[in-house]
Amino acid sequence: MRVETCYFCSQPVYPSKGITFVRNDARVFRFCRSKCHKNFKMKRNPRKLAWTKSFRHAHGKELTVDSTLSFAARRNVPVRYNRDLVATTLKAMQRVSEIRARRERAFYKQRMKGNKEKQRAADRKLVEENQHLLPPSERTVVDEMEVERVKARVEKRRKELEMDVEEEVESEELEEEIKAKAPKTKRKLKMLRAGGVEAMDVDE
Amino acid sequence: MIQLKTLINCIDNSGAAVVECVNVLRSKRPAKVGDRIVVVVQKQRNFGPESGSGGSVSVGAAHKVRRGDIRHAVVVRTAKKYQRPDGSVVKFDDNACVLINKAGEPIGSRLNGIVASELRDKKWSKILSLAPMHL
Repeated sequence: MRVETCYFCSQPVYPSKGITFVRNDARVFRFCRSKCHKNFKMKRNPRKLAWTKSFRHAHGKELTVDSTLSFAARRNVPVRYNRDLVATTLKAMQRVSEIRARRERAFYKQRMKGNKEKQRAADRKLVEENQHLLPPSERTVVDEMEVERVKARVEKRRKELEMDVEEEVESEELEEEIKAKAPKTKRKLKMLRAGGVEAMDVDE
Repeated sequence: MIQLKTLINCIDNSGAAVVECVNVLRSKRPAKVGDRIVVVVQKQRNFGPESGSGGSVSVGAAHKVRRGDIRHAVVVRTAKKYQRPDGSVVKFDDNACVLINKAGEPIGSRLNGIVASELRDKKWSKILSLAPMHL
């Protein structure tokens, strides 16, 4: 009994876990769980699925060239039991995993290096390009064209206001005229309410 | 899961290609690997071009059974997954069997294809020795 690796995701398959599929050409596929088995049955390529180890290896997200990785290889040489050998092997396993963890950490750090700066630069660029969305007091770059445009708009508005004052005088005269006409229509409406039956055309 | 009407591949050189299960012996349940079943030969293996060019051995083998023959057989692979005593679960690509005579000896002299190692527990060592590989 040995701990196998999943054909699909390269996870360790412990005894009693997962399923073994034997193809007619005697190729044995071991799967760690039904997820991997199902994906295999769907004929998906593990190199194209981001959650598998083979994808991570193929896309440079994992340590690929390292001396610590060569220890976990299948050796077809039977070894006679030896207590000392077992003891040293166990010690070596611990040491190797320690070293590997350290190297993986370093690899990850190297991979993530410069991400912060890159993100910050991207953010800066975004703010730079979308200055018009900020309130004017927050803006760093003042747009000359924009200022002129605003100035022009303010000037226009002021002129309009001045015009309105003149117009108001005219409108007052109009209102007086309307008032003079108003009593007539009122009377007609009253007649309508009192009479009731025949519809009257107010417009006439 | 081999029961009445199941079509099974025959992987020996007895001349049968596809056989149909008509009975599962000594069991009321569907047959598993190592179970003995009764089958009807549905399709013969095509040895046409080989026998024409001159392969007397294959011709002899091809005539051991004919279409419509009723024979006994042993299930050697199942597409249905099954669990082994060590906890592992195994499944194969297809259902396959090997024809045997009443005494339990294989009719064919050669197998092409792997067989399950469960046959050893069921005392089918003769089939195991004929098989190119057992898993």
